[in-house]
Amino acid sequence: MRKFIVSVNGKQYEVEVEEVTSSATSTVKTAPTITEAPKEEKLPPQPKAETKVEAAPKEEKKEVIAPQGAEVVTAPMPGTILNVNVNEGDTVKEGQILLILEAMKMENEVLAPRDGKVVNVAVTKGASVNTGDQLVIME
Amino acid sequence: MKEKIEQLLETKKKIELGGGEKRIEKQHSQGKLTARERINLLLDEGSFVEIDAFVEHRCTNFGMEKTEAPADGVVTGYGTIDGRLVFVYAQDFTVLGGSLGEMHANKIVKVQQMALKMGAPIIGINDSGGARIQEGVDALSGYGKIFFNNTKASGVIPQISVILGPCAGGAVYSPALTDFIFMVDGVSRMFITGPQVIKTVTGEDVTQEELGGANTHNKISGVAHFMDNSEEECLNRIRKLLSYLPSNNLENPPAYQTEDDINRVEEKLNELVPVNPNKPYDMKEIIRLLADNNEFFEVQEHYAQNIITGYIRLNGKTVGVVANQPRVLAGCLDINASDKAARFIRTCDAFNIPLLSLVDVPGFLPGTDQEYGGIIRHGAKMLYAFSEATVPKVTLIVRKAYGGAYLAMCSKDLGADQVFAWPGAEIAVMGPEGAANIIFKKDIKNSDNPIETRQEKIKEYRDTVANPYIAAARGFVDDIIVPSTTRPRLISAFDMLQTKRETNPAKKHGNIPV
Repeated sequence: MRKFIVSVNGKQYEVEVEEVTSSATSTVKTAPTITEAPKEEKLPPQPKAETKVEAAPKEEKKEVIAPQGAEVVTAPMPGTILNVNVNEGDTVKEGQILLILEAMKMENEVLAPRDGKVVNVAVTKGASVNTGDQLVIME
Repeated sequence: MKEKIEQLLETKKKIELGGGEKRIEKQHSQGKLTARERINLLLDEGSFVEIDAFVEHRCTNFGMEKTEAPADGVVTGYGTIDGRLVFVYAQDFTVLGGSLGEMHANKIVKVQQMALKMGAPIIGINDSGGARIQEGVDALSGYGKIFFNNTKASGVIPQISVILGPCAGGAVYSPALTDFIFMVDGVSRMFITGPQVIKTVTGEDVTQEELGGANTHNKISGVAHFMDNSEEECLNRIRKLLSYLPSNNLENPPAYQTEDDINRVEEKLNELVPVNPNKPYDMKEIIRLLADNNEFFEVQEHYAQNIITGYIRLNGKTVGVVANQPRVLAGCLDINASDKAARFIRTCDAFNIPLLSLVDVPGFLPGTDQEYGGIIRHGAKMLYAFSEATVPKVTLIVRKAYGGAYLAMCSKDLGADQVFAWPGAEIAVMGPEGAANIIFKKDIKNSDNPIETRQEKIKEYRDTVANPYIAAARGFVDDIIVPSTTRPRLISAFDMLQTKRETNPAKKHGNIPV
């Protein structure tokens, strides 16, 4: 048994997982026992690179699992989305403003960490976000 | 005699080759320079004088008596940078992987002690596989002695560590004890326990680069201060850094002739800060506009970017700048920013570098992460460092200065010698929105139109309290100045403060909440 700390939407869950032997084929077989589990969701632990898990189940409506090599832009601090400046499919340059996050009485500019394409915008105008929440996924 | 001289030259030549041509080639193929090439690049041309080239190890365990280790894997000596004396050591990876044994350590200790005696900076270039295991406890003792001397020299001479290769296990603590750590992307690696050990203990899979590369330590851990793309750039940056620092704690930093007008009025400063206090801007622009030749030498550029630390010159003299960055995390102070700033302030104070604080801070970052992480004791370090610092301290309140964070940014009460404010400054216990909710709670509650009343009260509060005039009326602000005239005003203040003498009560040492 191994323990993982899984954080979902800023909330931390302690998850115990039994190690699967090399004969494992597709997904993580053992059902995770979750201590302190929330009723509505049972997310398996983040798949590791070598276990051939394609994608974790998308039970969360906002949480989109980023594909390999994608850049996930997360909220630096808790606040409200004041404006979303990009759309899915947009090509953005490094340093371009993706969205404005109002926090600590400041209209904080959330910038693109590098050149790329926006594949997912996880928030809408007016949404409240917590530190670490996914805002935009880029590739 | 001629024969003997020839023999000497022959031996020296052999030692200079370190681990031999093959290993040198291997070092080059990995994109790394050799220890001697690095020293020659770092120091003024032809100034390097080697010490202890003939030192050999004394180990006879596990067949070590047959192993030759020219210079015992570390090149030590002295030379000059911009004509100023420095001591230097560079571990030679081509000799037994730069591993540290008893005599290797003794050589380092010797230059450390010389640097301390002569009051000159020491630069250590680390490129080592770690302790020479065959030498056992003698190697450990060597590390211990180096740490001890690092600590003794701390605050007396500038100590600079350069990681140009692996630096793992206990070896990391020598750099950690020094003032500045330089790393090169793709070349440097620093960690206490390597990926294999981590794999067996916690099951985490991590590469060496992810675990302890230049990016990790510059952006995430805050262990390192500088990151460069090549060894040449890195060594050049060290030369630049030293131009801002004195050779020891009894000297002042070197002063240079500046061609930049000390009375330069910068109209841009009048426009740079948005009137709307909710709009961010780039504080670094202000710093550059104030500095001689617009030059800003930033320290820990990639870490805790909500606070900016670094050196500028005003009228040719070094000034350490601590500034909030409204662009990142709204310019809040948090755990990492406090640690970064406190460390920088103490480095400046130790080396007689005057301090300039540029304040635009909405407060400390709220959140359980911060409270559980100990923001109280981390934030306290900033208060401590500023209060303790006896160098000239000038504070400029650019915009927001709220609550404890206002104090932490070197307010008058923490010993700022001069406090200036721009006309847009808001100095108060908290922001107008929060304050209005508390002070006018009843008015707002009893009003027919609470929303409108609240807005009115916020405006009332902003007009009456959130301005620099009340603080100036009480003398917490020495003068409210036109932004464009800031450079001449700062230069005049630091000139006036040049002869400042202030001493803390005699004590063994303070007890900073580390």
